[in-house]
This record gives sequence, structure tokens and C-alpha cells, in this order.
Amino acid sequence: MTSRTGSHSPAGFGKSLPERGLLLLVVLVLLEGSVLPHGAASSPDTSHHTKAGNGAGNGTGNGTVKIAKKAFPVLSLDYHHIQTPFEISLWVLLASLMKLGFHLIPRLSGIVPESCLLIVVGLMVGGLIKLAGEKVPPVLDSQFFFLCLLPPIILDAGYFLPIRPFMENLGTILIFAVVGTLWNAFFIGGLLYAVCQIQPNNPSNLHQLELLPCLLFGSIISAVDPVAVLAVFEEIHINELLHILVFGESLLNDAVTVVLYHLFEEFSAVGSVTVLDGVLGIISFLVVACGGVLVGAIYGILAAFTSRFTSHTRVIEPLFVFVYSYMAYLSAEMFHLSGIMALIACGAVMRPYVEANISHKSHTTIKYFLKMWSSVSETLIFIFLGVATVDGQHDWNWTFVTVTVILCLVARVIGVVGLTYMINKFRIVKLTTKDQFIIAYGGLRGAIAFSLGFLLKKELFPLREMFLTAIITVIFFTVFVQGMTIKPLVELLAVKKKQEAKRSINEEIHTQFLDHLLTGIEDICGHYGHHHWKDKLNRFNKKYVKKCLIAGERSKEPQLIAFYHKMEMKQAIELVESGGGVKMPSSIPSTVSMQNIQPKKPPPAKPVERALPQLPKGREEEIRKILRSNLQRTRQRLRSYNRHTLVADPYEDGLGDLLIKKQRMIELEKKIKDMNNYLTVPAAPPDSPTMCRARLASGKDTDFKPAQQQKGNTIGPDPQAYHTKSVSDSVPAIQVDLASPQSPDSVNMMDEFRRAGQQQQQQEDQGLMMRPPSRPGEADGARDPQKLTRCLSDPGPSADEEEDEPFLP
Amino acid sequence: MGSSSSNMNNIPDGQQLLQETGFSAAHIVRLYERFEFLDKDNTGHLRPEDLETVPDLDKNPIGARIIGAFFPPGKETLDFGSFVRILAHFRPADSNRARDGAQQEPANSTTGKLRFAFQLYDQDGDGKISRDELLQVLRSMLGLQVTEEQLQCIAERAIQEADADKDDAISFDEFRKSLEKVDIDHKMSISFLR
Repeated sequence: MTSRTGSHSPAGFGKSLPERGLLLLVVLVLLEGSVLPHGAASSPDTSHHTKAGNGAGNGTGNGTVKIAKKAFPVLSLDYHHIQTPFEISLWVLLASLMKLGFHLIPRLSGIVPESCLLIVVGLMVGGLIKLAGEKVPPVLDSQFFFLCLLPPIILDAGYFLPIRPFMENLGTILIFAVVGTLWNAFFIGGLLYAVCQIQPNNPSNLHQLELLPCLLFGSIISAVDPVAVLAVFEEIHINELLHILVFGESLLNDAVTVVLYHLFEEFSAVGSVTVLDGVLGIISFLVVACGGVLVGAIYGILAAFTSRFTSHTRVIEPLFVFVYSYMAYLSAEMFHLSGIMALIACGAVMRPYVEANISHKSHTTIKYFLKMWSSVSETLIFIFLGVATVDGQHDWNWTFVTVTVILCLVARVIGVVGLTYMINKFRIVKLTTKDQFIIAYGGLRGAIAFSLGFLLKKELFPLREMFLTAIITVIFFTVFVQGMTIKPLVELLAVKKKQEAKRSINEEIHTQFLDHLLTGIEDICGHYGHHHWKDKLNRFNKKYVKKCLIAGERSKEPQLIAFYHKMEMKQAIELVESGGGVKMPSSIPSTVSMQNIQPKKPPPAKPVERALPQLPKGREEEIRKILRSNLQRTRQRLRSYNRHTLVADPYEDGLGDLLIKKQRMIELEKKIKDMNNYLTVPAAPPDSPTMCRARLASGKDTDFKPAQQQKGNTIGPDPQAYHTKSVSDSVPAIQVDLASPQSPDSVNMMDEFRRAGQQQQQQEDQGLMMRPPSRPGEADGARDPQKLTRCLSDPGPSADEEEDEPFLP
Repeated sequence: MGSSSSNMNNIPDGQQLLQETGFSAAHIVRLYERFEFLDKDNTGHLRPEDLETVPDLDKNPIGARIIGAFFPPGKETLDFGSFVRILAHFRPADSNRARDGAQQEPANSTTGKLRFAFQLYDQDGDGKISRDELLQVLRSMLGLQVTEEQLQCIAERAIQEADADKDDAISFDEFRKSLEKVDIDHKMSISFLR
């Protein structure tokens, strides 16, 4: 994050930005504060003029009051009408502007995690509202929280969950989540009860506290909160293992929390829990957990199945993903199952299949929407936490609160150490002390605990305020103290950081090879271990599931090929940019959208022919410089689970890759001279509005073929295809569509490439082909300008093009 | 564990294997039981056909290679000692071995594991993975799903990426370097053998 802020705030702005940020904040807060009173005062004006009209005509009748005719209100204020949406929008706006503001203040975001800052802002806003004498809106209303604020964050986490490390460590994660949370709950609850009882001479209201409410309180406070963990851990870039352990734990402990909460809540009224209830509780836990996952998986499969048929209506593809996931959450909540687990399961199950089916644009849409919503949600949650703190009636009890905080820490440490000792017996890669420390330290509590506490009924729990105070204190403590210090501690302890590594094709090949090898060895040993089951699952997946859920030919593509295509795509982009830098003005690369380069299957031995001129020494330097400065950010799809690093590092290749590229280019040159007329070219005629316009504007008889008219093509062509034209001499050139101001973001080409790659199984003979322009009139009707309307719909992930025509002269 | 259970005394070279491979006695016993199970005709040796009866190994793309690794060229039979020594490669590495200078690199260290994997690639044993060998592996892994051209591309690219000394083949060091980001110890260990 610090690097991004560094790049965004030029030196000249330094002085004014903190002031700007504060100014914005103050303005907004005042606005909020002042707007709220109007809600009460404004009167609905809409009914006035109708009444005036009626009253005038109604001369007869007794007691008719003659309503004086007022002037027709030209401008009236009717705040009440729009109050709720307006306030919601205002809050969201505040949250977003805060986010902006923090990054404008460069050093702050490096030291203090965003969550802390947001809570502080919330406190200020709450304070201001209270000062203004208004009633603080019950913003962290549990209904609102659980139904609107929490799902986006969890869906974002679940959809982009890195499955491989999650599955590999699933046992560890489950033990931490289940056993750890249980331990925490009972330890804290029991000891609190004991502490509350220890002063017999000094009767305080603590003595009213029964065991069951204590245990309930323990269960609320013991769960590690995914929102807080995400917020803090994302900024410290810790290595993948630790991240997935803490994060996975925070997600999976929801089931335990749900069960314990309901169990104790049910029986607090009665006052006792029998063994039968305990057994039922255990069964309930299994039902909640497995049921949640099952519900999620069912919806996930439905979503995947639906996405198989969306090839003609690409625009609403993201909607399916969101709606199915949300319904999974709601359905699970309906049965009191674990909604979080349902959401995670839904996202994780549907993802591989949906991504194979949906178009490139839909994928980008989904990604950005999820990130956006979850970002806003998280911001709002923290702000509301601050506001709710100011608002709530607090019952501060020194003993209770301090004991709670201490017990939370102690319980966590003991729990982690104890469990790790047992887990390490079964793990191959052991968890070191450092790891354990980070896991223990990363057990942050957050808004879920607060909301659960908020839900408690006052009648059943007379000490509800005390609970809430304690919960808030713990949350503040963990988020502020632990959140702020974890980063320096990570540095201090030299914990392994996340490797921003790009996988090379070698790694990919060898890893797969090793997987097979290990599976084979396990079979020989007769040991049904991890690899064996993974292999079985993969085979089952390939044989049955993929056929059902993935449309068309893509179901057969092996992973290695997909990976290879991704790499080739990336290299193609880089080659073009370097070649482009030689030939074209420097502004081009930013408008160049590599959206839909479509190779045909098979990807040619010369992947993307860019004929480049000879590279003298000077040019090489130039190319290097251009690469460094203009390299378009290629997003790696695989690493999207971190909200703050949505964009992968652009220039990771290093010199080695550059040399490969150089060698490649030289080779390409040689090969081009051998070829005649065949260029590898991305295929599809563009369909997007801008492209259509460009084509028509360029005045050529272009070959516009709407999706439906292509031969045997169920999936339409992609817009923004790249075209190169064969020039008569032996050096072909690259033509770029300058007229297409496609947004420079979302270069998820690789996926495009991949999908395009296997799409054309029908056409065996070509690589990316482009025949010379003389073609019989194809798709004449296509030139009908009305067909432009079809441009608007997203044609799909890949094109099934035989040939193509350059549309730029 | 019935009456036919073996204890360490029945196992040929049992004690020596304990020393050499670092397996525990329980493991050696377990492996011996497996060995006897595989050795259907009770000759005390395994032949390739015995290994081929292992279920699922035929579905494994490199199953033949793995079997081949157990039977180096020239040897038709596999005795228990060799069986265990090969499987010792997959034991999780010990973190705190006292390194004796004169002692050879243990089989289950990262290098040992990688060397075993390397040998599976390098069938002709010249110490390098040539383009053809790589192609063969790719062909067996990807099979009929891809065309020859694609395989060529992939092999080409792989060699380009890894080949530092430009000899158009991947040596052991280059192999190791390309896998430096992968946790070999984790990837190539079987937890059962502990």
C-alpha cells in the first residue's frame, strides 16, 4: 500500500493534501450532522396543491374549511421523501472519501492500518452527531450488518480463495477453527464466571452473572473475525501459509460460533444445559457446518450450470454469480446454518467452472464489483463500529473488561500453542514458534462479535450493556494494538513474506510431474494419502463434472495448456509494446487494450508474430526503457484474493525474460522470412460499439459479422481484436486500432487467450491466421447498421473466426 | 498384525536399512509387509509385472517411468533393500541432522529428492534433460489432448526459460534452479513415511 501511495502523491502536493483530507472530512461530517435534523422538520409538500385544487371546488358540505389558495410551489424541499436512501448514500460517500483521504496522506497509511483510521473516523462522526444533539442512527443494526454488509466481504474472500493452500492445510485450519474456538469460548466463559464470583463480600452486579450468560459471552468474543483479519493481514503481506491459516480459521469458525451462540442463548432462559443438550449441540454443529457447505455447493453448481448457457447474454453473467451466492447465504441463514460457510463454498465451487464459461469482460466485472463492494462494506463496518461506540450506553466495569481482555489474549496463546503441538505431529511442514506467534497474534476480533452482542435481548441478559462495552474494548484493543504492531513485529521477527512470484512454465511442468510422481509412489506404497485423493478428485472432475458444467470445448483443456497460453499472451503483450514503442508514439500503449487477442488453436509455433525490424544495439536499450516505463499491467488471475493488491506487479520479469524475448524476436524474424503471407493474427472482427464505429469510419468494406452469423459458432467473437496486416514486403507490421479507447485496465488476456485457444478445435490447420484480403462477400447482411445494436452486448470470450480483415488501412 | 508379522529380525538387512535410510523400525516393517504383498509369487524379489498390478498406476501418466525407476536398466528384479532405498527419497527431510562431513548427501534431502526426480526425466542418463526427453514427458502427461505443435512450443519455451548455459538441454542445476520457489520438501514427501 505504501508503494502505491508513494506513486500517487507527487511531491508538490504534499503540503495541501493532509489539509484537503481533513477539510473533506469536516465538510462531510457537518453535512451529515446538519442533514439529519431536517428529517424531522420537513413536511411533505406534495399534498398541498392537490388539496388546494379540491378544496376550491368543494363549495358545499358542512364544515368545509376554505383552504386559501397558495402560490404554486416552484421549489420545495421534501427531505423526508428521500431520507433513507440519501443518508445511506451519504454514509457510503463518506466511507469512500475517507479511503481516498487516507491514501493522500502518505505516511499515515504506512503506520496505521486502515481499519484503525476508519474506526477513529467513525468515532469522530458519532461524536459530531451526538454533539449536534441528534440521535445517532442505529447504523450497526444487526439486520443490516448481517444481511447487507457482511456478505460482500465474505463472497469476495470465498470467490478468490486460493484453493490449493486452503485444501492442503484444511486439517490444520479446521482444528484451529473448531477446537480452538471451543477452547477459547469455554476457557473465557468459565474463567470469567469464576472471576465474577470471587468477591463474596462485595456484592456487585457481577454476581448476578450466571454461568450460561458467561459462556455465551465467551462464545461471542472468542471467534476470530474475518473482516478484521482481512483488513490487517492484507497490509502486511505475510507468507501464504500463515495468511491462509489465520484467514481460513476466521472463516470456518463461523459454524462453531453460530452453534454455540444459539445453544447458549436458547438455554440461558432455562438456566441449565443437560448432557442431552450437549450432544444435540454437537450434532447441531455438524449439521450447521456441513449443511452450510452443502447449501453453498448446491448453489455453486447451479450457478456454474447456468453460466454454461449464458453465451448469448453476456451482460448479465456477473449477476448470476452475485445473486446465486447471495441466495446461498440467505438460504443458509434461513435454516440457521452457517451463512459464511455457505457463501465460501458457493464461491469456491462455482469459480473454476464459471470462469471457464464467462467472457473476459464479465470476469473483470465480477472481480471489480466484488472488490468494490467488499471494500465499501469493510469501510462502512469500521466506521459504524466507531459510531456505535459513541452511541451505545456503556456500562464500564473495570474488573469485567480487563479480565476479558487478558483472558482473550491468554486463551488465544494457550490455544494456539497447544493445538500446534498436536498438529505438528501430523504435518509435514511444521509450524515454527514464529508461525505460532503470528497465528496467535493475528487473532483479531471484529464487528461480528459486536453484532452478535447487539442481538442479545435485554430481558434475558440484564448485563447486556456491560457485555457490549467489553466486546468493544476487546475489539478496539485487538484492532488498534495488535493491528498496529503486527507489521513491525513481522519485520522484527523476519517472518517470511509473501513471494511475489510468477510461475514459470518450468515450474508448472515440473510441479505437475511431481504430482504424478507422488501419486504413483503413494499407490506403490499402498498409502492413500493426500495425493491419491487429490488425483482421484481431479479425475472425477475431468471426467464428469467438467462436461456438465463447462460449455463447449473448453472442458477438455488441460491445465498446462491454459497456463502456457497465459504466458504466451503476456509475452505477446510485452513484445507488442516493445515493438510498438519502436514504431508508434508513446501515448499508444495506454490506449492499446490488449483485450482480446485471439489466437486460434493450436497456438502457433510462433505465437504472436510481430515482425520487428532488426534490433541494433541502441534499439535494444530503447526497448528496455520502453518496457520498463510503459509496460501495461498484466493482472494475474490467480492472485486476486488480496483486495489491496488487485494489480499484480507489472515488471517482474527481470532480465532473463528480456533476453528470451530478444532471442524470440530474432528467431521470429528468421521464421517470418520463411513464411509467406501467413501471419499469426488475432482473429475476431470487433463487435464493440467503438470498434464498429471505427470500422465504419475508416470507410473500408469491413467484414462485420455478428456473433450469430459465424459458422458453427456458439460463442461470439470478441471485440477489440488485434489486427496485423500483411504487407507486401517481407516485414509485416503491426497495426493497432487507435480508434478504440478501451479502458486500459483489465488485461486479463490470458484468459481470453486461453479460451480462444482451445475454442477452435474445428480448425486444425491454422495458427492465428490471416489470409490476404480478397474474400468473397461474406455476411453481407452484416453491414446493416442496425446490427450495431448487437455490438452493445458482450459477444463472448472467444471467437471462432476463419479469417479476418484488417480494418485499418 | 497377525502371526505372520515380521519383526526386524526377519527382514533382510533390516538393521542396515535402519541406519542407511533413517526410517524407523515401524516403517521398515510396514514397508516390508507391503513388499510381501506386492510380491505375489513370494520369490523375495519384485519384478516389473508385480508393480504393474498396483491399481491406478496404469492410469498414471508417468506410471511406466516410475516403475522404470525402480528397475534400473539391467536389473530385472528388485529386492527389499533397493525398494526401501528408493522410497527413502520420499521421507520428509529431517531438520536437525548432524551433518557428518564424510557422509553422503542423504536421500531424502532436497537435493536427493530433486535428483531422483531428475533421473526420471533423464532416461538416457547423460545428466541433462534434452528437448526430446522433455517432449516425451509432456507427451505422456498431456497425451492426446494437445497437438504436437503445442507440445513443441511448450518444450521450446521451457528450455528457453531454464537453459542458462545455452546447451539446449536442462542440466541438474538448471532444473533445481527452476524449482527454487517450490517447497520441494513438502511437495515430495509422503507423510506416512514418518
